[in-house]
Amino acid sequence: MSSILNIGVLALNANQAALQTVSNNIANVNTPGYSRQQVVLQNIQGQYTGSGYFGKGVDVLTVTRSYNDFLNRQAASAQAVSTADTTRLNKLNQLETYFKVGSNGLGATISDFMNAFSDIVSAPTDLTARSVALTRADEMASRFNQMYLQLDQMRIGNTEELKTAATAINDLARQIAKANQDISRSLGNGQQPNDLLDQRDQLIRNLNKYIQTTTIPADDGTLGIFIGGSQALVLGTTVSPVSIQLDKYSDLSKAKLAVAVAGAPPMLLDENTLGGGEVSGMLRFQNQDLLEARNLLGRLALAIGTKLNEQQALGIDLNGNAGSPLFSLPALPDGLAHVNNTGTAALSLAIQTTPTSGVSAFVATDYDVVFATGTTGTITRQSDGTQVAFDTAVTNPVLIDGLELTISAGAAAGDRYVLKPFSNAASSISTAFASPRGLAMASPITAIAGANNAGTVTLEGLRVDAVPTTLPAPAVTLRFIGTGQYIRSDDANYAGLVATLDGPPPLDPASPAYAAAIAAHPAGERYTYVPGQVIGADDRTTNLPFDPATEWSWSLTLKGVPQPGDTYAVDVNPYPQLNADNAQAMLDLRDLAMFDGGPLTDGYASAIAVIGTRILSAQSAAAVSADIASNLEKERTSIQGVNLDEEAARLIQFQQAYQASGKMMQVAQTIFDTLLASIGR
Amino acid sequence: MRLGTANAFDRTLLNITNRQASLAELQEKLSAGKKVLRASDDPTGAAQSERAQTRITRVEIEQRALSLQKNSMSLAESTLGDAQSLMQQIRQLVVQAGDATLTPADRRSLAQEMRSLRDQLFTYANKQDSNGVPLFGGLASANAPFVDLTTGVVFNGIPGQKSGGPVNIPSAMDGQAVFMNVPSGNGVFNMALGATNAGQLWTDPGRVLTPGLLTGDNYSVTFNVDSTVTPPVTTYDVVNTTTATPVLTAQPYVDGQDITFDGLSFVARGVPADGDTLAITPSTRTDIFAVVDAAIAAVDGQPNGHVFTQNNSLSLSQLDSAMDRIQSARGTAGELLKRADIIDSNQEDKTIQLEADRSRAEDMDMVKGISQFETQQLGYNAALQTYAQIQRLSLFNYIS
Repeated sequence: MSSILNIGVLALNANQAALQTVSNNIANVNTPGYSRQQVVLQNIQGQYTGSGYFGKGVDVLTVTRSYNDFLNRQAASAQAVSTADTTRLNKLNQLETYFKVGSNGLGATISDFMNAFSDIVSAPTDLTARSVALTRADEMASRFNQMYLQLDQMRIGNTEELKTAATAINDLARQIAKANQDISRSLGNGQQPNDLLDQRDQLIRNLNKYIQTTTIPADDGTLGIFIGGSQALVLGTTVSPVSIQLDKYSDLSKAKLAVAVAGAPPMLLDENTLGGGEVSGMLRFQNQDLLEARNLLGRLALAIGTKLNEQQALGIDLNGNAGSPLFSLPALPDGLAHVNNTGTAALSLAIQTTPTSGVSAFVATDYDVVFATGTTGTITRQSDGTQVAFDTAVTNPVLIDGLELTISAGAAAGDRYVLKPFSNAASSISTAFASPRGLAMASPITAIAGANNAGTVTLEGLRVDAVPTTLPAPAVTLRFIGTGQYIRSDDANYAGLVATLDGPPPLDPASPAYAAAIAAHPAGERYTYVPGQVIGADDRTTNLPFDPATEWSWSLTLKGVPQPGDTYAVDVNPYPQLNADNAQAMLDLRDLAMFDGGPLTDGYASAIAVIGTRILSAQSAAAVSADIASNLEKERTSIQGVNLDEEAARLIQFQQAYQASGKMMQVAQTIFDTLLASIGR
Repeated sequence: MRLGTANAFDRTLLNITNRQASLAELQEKLSAGKKVLRASDDPTGAAQSERAQTRITRVEIEQRALSLQKNSMSLAESTLGDAQSLMQQIRQLVVQAGDATLTPADRRSLAQEMRSLRDQLFTYANKQDSNGVPLFGGLASANAPFVDLTTGVVFNGIPGQKSGGPVNIPSAMDGQAVFMNVPSGNGVFNMALGATNAGQLWTDPGRVLTPGLLTGDNYSVTFNVDSTVTPPVTTYDVVNTTTATPVLTAQPYVDGQDITFDGLSFVARGVPADGDTLAITPSTRTDIFAVVDAAIAAVDGQPNGHVFTQNNSLSLSQLDSAMDRIQSARGTAGELLKRADIIDSNQEDKTIQLEADRSRAEDMDMVKGISQFETQQLGYNAALQTYAQIQRLSLFNYIS
């Protein structure tokens, strides 16, 4: 009877405990990180009697939490990857808003600027047309500055966010260390501290939003937290704080995450080993995406600015002077030295000018320079990993992708440098003068048709390719000796043949004497004329070598059919005022193969395509990783999460059991009463 | 399988938010009428449309330049037309001056009239287009390409004609070729009377009979009058003075009969004196203004006579050559204008093509877009409804 009462009390207690756990579950249904708890009931060892064992009731053994270590870890790291991808995507989306398409974009500004030269071609002396062109140049330059500033603001903002994230990581790491301490203490009393464990798991999950971690449990119940593969962030109760640092080249445009293990300098982590987390996404954005965007923008600014300056230098302005640069461009930055370099070499960059201008060969990338010895080494394009070997003992400056790299002596084997030719090019491009008269729109040379030309030869174009250092250079006359042949006055035997043909007596072109004189002329000095084909100043094949220092470099294109005796000469332009040939040449730059072979005006279109493609791939990466994270979270919560319907069912179940236990005690009471009644009689 | 209640709510909520976001994005695209709002919507399409846009702007600019070029060229063409009619008037005056009943004073006043026409012609040659660029400046020139000096008109420009490109025509013509390149004489050779001629001899400008036989040499014709016989017999000798070889010897002279040798022919008129000569030289290049000046000089205050007749007929011949030059330049201008019209229509076609390219790359297919919108809306509706219904379901509702 007392045992019935006893069992009843035990049952009452056990079911109450179960109900309490259910209530706790229901209460924590929305608590992040809470793991569903269950009481573990156990029947008490029975008492032996002659009639066998009699059970002595039920006991609450412990309260466990539903927990799956594997899923827990998987869900956390999937969440980390998803956060990284989403963070990067959001940043890229923000970046994209600066690269506008259509009539508001930089592309339209560039195209408007280039097209402004058309009105100057129509009206060479019209100062309004010149002012418009100059204003548009100014607008384009400030558009470059503005975009650079926006990108730089993004970099600064991103670095700030990274620093905030680093603080948050350190904060969480300390809380985890504290939780480790509490847990290892609580374990001493023999029961699992479920809520502390949940709390620590939740802290780790929160930490994973910032940076992906791996965890290794220790025997004392603490968890070791590792980032970047193997760097300990938390070991037991010790925290190694992280910080945001410049990279080893002190490259201001980049950021690195560093871990400071006690007693050692901060160690930089490669962002590619970080896995997931907001920090990883932001680092990847800043060190890769933003860097490429800056390089694309810088290359556009540098190439267009330089090309137009080169063209401007080939012209004559309204004051009769050779054109001075239209844009002032920032100097190309020197190579950044690695902090561990032992040598003292300085690497300076310039735009290649000889043999041809390098602007068309620019690749929007940074370069790594590694010295194998003091004079040799390799240059690696960061964008595609292409390597070029160099030996400064043989060639210095080294030519690469349209750039001239001058390496001073003093490099040591193993020294490393990074070159960032385009990083700041868009920052301070500006127009160099404000007077519209300064636009060098006239060509310094002109083609001159013979006054008595009888054929139908017309001038399709005369392009100046280079201006000699000694001005003016001698004129060159092309004299046609048949409908498909000409001779040049800068050849040795020209004067002799002309004297023979012109007489006295002049030779009739149809006469055999004429043909004989031509045939006697050196074959190398007779050139084939094809209408529409370019005739170059340096096309001379024979005895006299072409000297660009003393001769004009030009490309002449003629059309039509000449008559023997017709001439076309290239000489100094005596009438620069009404000439706009250089403006036409600037218009022609629109089609110049410039950006990875694409025309100048399409440079921006390909830049936005590159950024758009990056975003597209970031979008699909973010979508996939979000899906994986969401599925794993579903799996995890299916084990650890609270299901209200289930709890409702359990509530009824344990409530009934509790009621039954109560009934049991009532029965014991009744039995006792019955017993008392029978005795009392 | 169990479901974590909180997670189930979270997931459903996330799905609904996503659907809402994509619906909003589609709505944004529909209202803008574009399927590519950002480069990431379709990087290739965005680049395509950007390129098409650049080219459309470029065609607009080219068309603007072409319309200016067309204006200049049609101005040049009409100026040449005006010059042509001026020349015609001068020619008529020269013909009028040939009337034997006119006195030197009458001719002087005709010459006055011709002078004013000549001045008008000169201003035509220096005419500029609306941008101040000379119409007849050749490849490059000073602001006024023609300068009227006492020694004659000089072309201050660079001779040569620019050719048109695929999208433009030249806006200036070669002034050298139009005004400064007129053959003297009849275009092949000059007939000149000997300076010391005593007789009343004159000739017509002559003509070419057989081009293949022309030598381009100088000739001299000498008339010999044998007055020992009655009536006196006049003969002539022709000598090629370049090669110093006689061509014809002692040919009888008949007034008004053709004298023909070495592929050329002319008519000598009048009565030559013994020893009178004619010089035949190859044609040289002169300019329209010199031709007009010569015509004026030939008329100005001149009495009737063989010299007047000779010069007047030469003037007419040279004026015709000059008018030929203007006419041919006018033909070139017309050709260029026609070319401009062809470019115009080509450029229009190109614009339409580019516009189509741009539209294909970035414009929304409205039918497709709206049907997509309807589908998404339906999906969003269903998500909201099922969410509302499922969240009502709970065992607790049944525990009383």
